[in-house]
Amino acid sequence: MSGQTQNGNNALLKATTTRRNFLKVSASAAGGLSLSLSLPGCSVLDKKGLDDAGRWQANAWLEISPDSRVSFTLDRVEMGQGTYTGLTTLLAEELDVPPVQIKVVFAPVATVYRNPDYGMQLTGGSNSLSSSWQQIREAGASVRMMLLAAAAEALQVPVSDLKTDRGFVVHEGRAKRLNYGSLAKLASKQAVPANPALKKPSEYRYIGKLNKRLDSHLKVTGSAVYGIDINEQTPGVDGLRYAVVSRSPWIGGRIKRHNGQALEGKFGVEKVVNISSGVAIVAKRYWQARKAQEKLTIEWLRENDQPINTEAVFDFYRQQGKADEGDSVRSEGHIDSAIENAHKVLEVEYRAPFLAHATMEPMNCTAHVRQDRADIWTSTQAPDLARVVVAKVSDVSLSDVHIHNQFIGGGFGRRLTQDFVGEAAEISYLAGGAIKLVWSREEDTQNDFYRPATLHTLRAALDENGRPIGWDHQIISPKIIDWYVWDAAPAMFPWAPKFMYSMLGHTGLMTEGTPITPADTSAYEGAQDLPYSIPAIEVRHTKADAGVPISYWRSVGHSHNAFVVEGFIDELAHEAGQDSYQFRRSMLASSPRLRNVLDRVATQGQWGRQMESGVFQGIAAHKSFGSYVAELVEIKIEHGEIRVLKVVCAVDCGLVVNPDIVTMQMESGIIFGITAALYGEITIEDGHIQQSNFDDYRLLRMNQSPEIETIIVDSEAHPRGVGEPGVPPAAPAIANALFKATGKRHRRLPLKLS
Amino acid sequence: MQISLNGNVHSLDIDPDTPLLWVIRDEIGLTGTKFGCGKGLCGACTVHLNGLAIRSCITPVSMAEGQLITTIEGLAEGEKLHPVQQSWISHNVPQCGYCQSGQLMSASALLASNSNPDDADIDAAMSGNICRCGTYPRIKSAIKEAAKNLQAMNDLAYEVKV
Repeated sequence: MSGQTQNGNNALLKATTTRRNFLKVSASAAGGLSLSLSLPGCSVLDKKGLDDAGRWQANAWLEISPDSRVSFTLDRVEMGQGTYTGLTTLLAEELDVPPVQIKVVFAPVATVYRNPDYGMQLTGGSNSLSSSWQQIREAGASVRMMLLAAAAEALQVPVSDLKTDRGFVVHEGRAKRLNYGSLAKLASKQAVPANPALKKPSEYRYIGKLNKRLDSHLKVTGSAVYGIDINEQTPGVDGLRYAVVSRSPWIGGRIKRHNGQALEGKFGVEKVVNISSGVAIVAKRYWQARKAQEKLTIEWLRENDQPINTEAVFDFYRQQGKADEGDSVRSEGHIDSAIENAHKVLEVEYRAPFLAHATMEPMNCTAHVRQDRADIWTSTQAPDLARVVVAKVSDVSLSDVHIHNQFIGGGFGRRLTQDFVGEAAEISYLAGGAIKLVWSREEDTQNDFYRPATLHTLRAALDENGRPIGWDHQIISPKIIDWYVWDAAPAMFPWAPKFMYSMLGHTGLMTEGTPITPADTSAYEGAQDLPYSIPAIEVRHTKADAGVPISYWRSVGHSHNAFVVEGFIDELAHEAGQDSYQFRRSMLASSPRLRNVLDRVATQGQWGRQMESGVFQGIAAHKSFGSYVAELVEIKIEHGEIRVLKVVCAVDCGLVVNPDIVTMQMESGIIFGITAALYGEITIEDGHIQQSNFDDYRLLRMNQSPEIETIIVDSEAHPRGVGEPGVPPAAPAIANALFKATGKRHRRLPLKLS
Repeated sequence: MQISLNGNVHSLDIDPDTPLLWVIRDEIGLTGTKFGCGKGLCGACTVHLNGLAIRSCITPVSMAEGQLITTIEGLAEGEKLHPVQQSWISHNVPQCGYCQSGQLMSASALLASNSNPDDADIDAAMSGNICRCGTYPRIKSAIKEAAKNLQAMNDLAYEVKV
């Protein structure tokens, strides 16, 4: 998902947030203390669904058992980005329990677990830490105060004589140490503090200091359970069979006939069923289903008269861009007069391709759909949307769909779309019993919801000194909301009957840009908020959708807009005869944090130094999801390929909770960004996706990986995300270095030498 | 058919052309070994066959008959983690973690045959393992640390013997 812009964010419904949390405490069944944190209006929401003030509920759940075990229900998924560690650290800090002692449990679907920024239970937009920062610390602090009050009561001493120390309440005078578990029951009867005092940064024991991940041991021993690892040993799963699906070879195809029935009862095949997306084979074993799939012959009917071709998509974009100048999303000064009065006008076209997510864990889902209950085991970024797709294909109502979410083997936005969950549920519904659907890599590559391809036309008006006096940027692309709304809108209104789902989707689209449904800014985020001071700025979006399925892809609109903006700025520096770094710097007076990260990489990376022969530097800076990142790259051309040797990165993401996770995410984003810049391209010929596996959809490997140095800017600003912001600057920094190497501007991704 | 996995012998009634990966995951029920590509392109399914790193997604189970197979679950000695597992933790290598079983099996096989790999050796041994989260720089550092620790352990063992 996209992050904040000045107009809000990409959520379909922007929820209003309030800091005035409301805590509910009760003794848990096991005799411990449990605390839920919610907002006023939550009970209204439970009964009625929607309320102006209480559209969302906040989201922590913590339990202390009599034997002092602390468990924390994590309502954001762990897909590598570090919520498992980061959010647990927040709780640990204020509760005063070592993070390693806290058991983390993945949340089921509940309105209380909705992401306050989106009004849906989903993880994306690099906002987990930012949006949970206050609530989870307050949840921990409140419970700590109640434990202190309980100890005061038990020991008959004033609270002021007590302190906590890593899971104990301590009375130094009497040399008493009471563990939290022994106090839990008494604590549950204490009044909930109205405004729990939070620690000052100088008092932090774990925030900014803990530098380990809490999930490492599970992940180096093979014991972390991902969706694909669900099997007969998983509690609640029995009679499991395996399913594979043959889908249309083209975008837009439906089944005419097939020989599936002839396979039933042979080769281990139990059932062959037609589902919305194709033909499913259910067999006792996975490999039997795969082998039987080779014997399945399907005749397909084309739904599209005009099959999709990549070049035709860009031609269509170009025509739309000419026919419709687009919606203005930023207008400052007078662009027309700037162009008219310009000494020189520079006009160029940039473009970015469709991209697959290519998560290492292919799409998979285990489903058991019964008449009145459905159980789903999977790895999903949006559990409440998963419920919607299950309800759509079965008789089960939303509240009877139980999502058992697991560790995620890579999300990057792919698992915000729930098509694979819908397929598994539909197969289970039609074939009966529990089934495990596993996509092949080829199926995963060819049935993705892709990062949209985009076309950009840019004009710059330059004065006689070559300085820009006007900037006009037209983005031509589809809108992700058009694809995402159909499952998202019903997820936001869980009380709505199924016949309303389609209507809710239409309403969501019709009300886009109103307080009900904020504008989908994903196409122009990172372009609209151009940070450079130029007298006239015009940013426009022209919608053009060629019918290729699209969704959110790590850093979303920033993934292409940073390439375009930072590439074109580099062109303008060259036009003005100025240094790329100094030119940017001179126009960043109104964005000091961005200028600072730029300065930091220029210094650390020794910008402009004498380079060894054949090595070239490039620089770029971009703000996304509230965080500022600059990258300085060094590249060389080796065996006819672009090779990135080194990246120096500086990030200002506000206050840092786990410094090494910030560093990890910068490294991760950079390598993800380099992969896209050098290799990333999904092409379509005659409606067919031409890439299939890692041989033709290449990902960066160890021998191509650069040395990376990350600088974290000290800051006490509100903490912001790091999962995505490392991605956007990589492509333009490389493209800018490539210009130095080749003398040629590269305005298309991926970057190609010829 | 019988196969030996992590020191245990398993009797199987299975098509001999079934890839070893699915036998390990679905028949034996050890899920640490992952499916990534099915073509030997990504290394997520890497296991040891008689100590050598192989891609189990393209190895028919029949080829593993009578051989010694080790998976990620068999890398540690009881509670004691293998040096690569330890250095993976100390370097915060895993992110999503999905590819890491395969990375660890490739790295441990490398160190078994080369106690002091340089960057080129590491690149050669590890470039068949894809990590979409981009943990390569950390993997490289972690392998070097594990090599040092292994060396120290061997030196210690030598001293004790002498």
